[in-house]
Amino acid sequence: MMKIIVVGMMTALLAAGVSVVRKPVPAALSWPAYFGNRVFVPADNPTTEEGVQLGRMLFYEKALSVNDKMSCATCHQQAKAFTDGKTFSAGADGTLQPRNTMALVNLLWVRLLFWDGRAAGLEEQAITPLTAPHEMGQSLENAAAKLRQRKHYPALFLRVFGNDSITGDRIVKALAQFERTLISANSRYDQYLQGKYQPTVSESKGISLFYTNPDPSRNIRGASCGHCHGGPKTYSDLFHNNGLDAVPADKGRQNITGQAYDNGRFRVATLRNIALTAPYMHDGRFKTLEEVIDHYSEHIAQSETLSPFLQRSSNIPEGTSLQLFPQEKKDLLAFLHMLTDSSFITDPRFSNPFPVN
Amino acid sequence: MKRSCLVGLLLSLFMIATAQQRPSVKISGEVTKPLTLYPENLHTMKRTTVTLKDRDGNDHAYTGVPLQDILEQAGVTTGKALRGENLSKYLLVRSADGYEVLFSLAELDSDFTDRIVVLADESDGQPLPAGKGPFRLVVPGEKRPARSSFQVTELIIRFAKD
Repeated sequence: MMKIIVVGMMTALLAAGVSVVRKPVPAALSWPAYFGNRVFVPADNPTTEEGVQLGRMLFYEKALSVNDKMSCATCHQQAKAFTDGKTFSAGADGTLQPRNTMALVNLLWVRLLFWDGRAAGLEEQAITPLTAPHEMGQSLENAAAKLRQRKHYPALFLRVFGNDSITGDRIVKALAQFERTLISANSRYDQYLQGKYQPTVSESKGISLFYTNPDPSRNIRGASCGHCHGGPKTYSDLFHNNGLDAVPADKGRQNITGQAYDNGRFRVATLRNIALTAPYMHDGRFKTLEEVIDHYSEHIAQSETLSPFLQRSSNIPEGTSLQLFPQEKKDLLAFLHMLTDSSFITDPRFSNPFPVN
Repeated sequence: MKRSCLVGLLLSLFMIATAQQRPSVKISGEVTKPLTLYPENLHTMKRTTVTLKDRDGNDHAYTGVPLQDILEQAGVTTGKALRGENLSKYLLVRSADGYEVLFSLAELDSDFTDRIVVLADESDGQPLPAGKGPFRLVVPGEKRPARSSFQVTELIIRFAKD
């Protein structure tokens, strides 16, 4: 009888001990008003200071790969705006990925992740690189078991989730919380939007070209980038076939939806920090931004599923691609370089927290 | 046994991923009868033709089904029922490329306006061209055709709650 009471008291004390764990502090994320507040944070994974801190550690944690040699940061390096400069990244087993690594930036505004939009949310997205056999290649259960062996993790999970249970679900939640903090909003373009930077003549012309739709009948020249990359975020959750191939080798979004009209459609990527994230496109076929601009200017491939916004977008009558002048290409390039945010790639909050890793 | 189940599951996932799907428009949210319309369904409903000035600056005739009829079929509050809190309902139109536009229900209702918004499947007597069809929302009488969405895939009814 006595024993039962003691056990009962101990259980009660333990329960009380759990309940007095300090509640996580909501993370204060900030962004310019012109980014808008259409942000996506699931109700069951609010962004907290403790969660972000844990997520940052996990982002750089090599125990999350099957061979303890890769972390998320292997393919998403801060100095390269969270890309790795490779056409295709190699997984833990050395196999190359089928598509180019995407930049991690301003993900708070993204609903459908991956080039084909197959993951609805960062939590769901994170499971794939962690567990795919040719990526980090380890089940979430194994990842959680390895973290339980590291002396600092149980206490960190306790602070974030209220008890020290380490699970796959909690790993992806913490990673997603960290990723939501990767906000880039301090480029020269932002400073210009905030009235703190006077663009050069070439940059000004580039901004204007970017947002103008060409109309040769009225002698209006433009590069028509704004329809898909419009607004200060240079991003708008769209999927388009941008004329890379008449017959796409990779069907892109069609693989997910099964719809013929989605053949060759891929995510319209953000242009934030684009100068740092070469090579370009889902297959990394373009090594430089000059090649990307040349593509839209001269090499759009016609097909049934080519974006309607690229079909007759040209600076010459009846043209099938933009046909920009050499100086206009330079001006556009000047604008694209305005989107580089040097504070984002050096921000210590996003850096590797481990002294030697 | 477990292994063969897994293989079967993977195989069926693969088949779902690669099977060609028929285009459709799904009507969901604050509806009493969730609905999925396929191209042939539009031909069995009452059809109408409206005129829209497109980006080319020219008028084009678009034929299809009035959106109000589709909303009624899905049990959305229309006509006399569009009063009180129902006036704070909106329609979110989503397209295949991710494009989204919004209407308040009253904007689409014949008790409030003579304008007829149509879910069209033909322009100038022809099926819609590649990239625009098979379903295009056609919103006559606006200065920009920006809400006349291409390749509509979803109509979602919600309450504005703020």
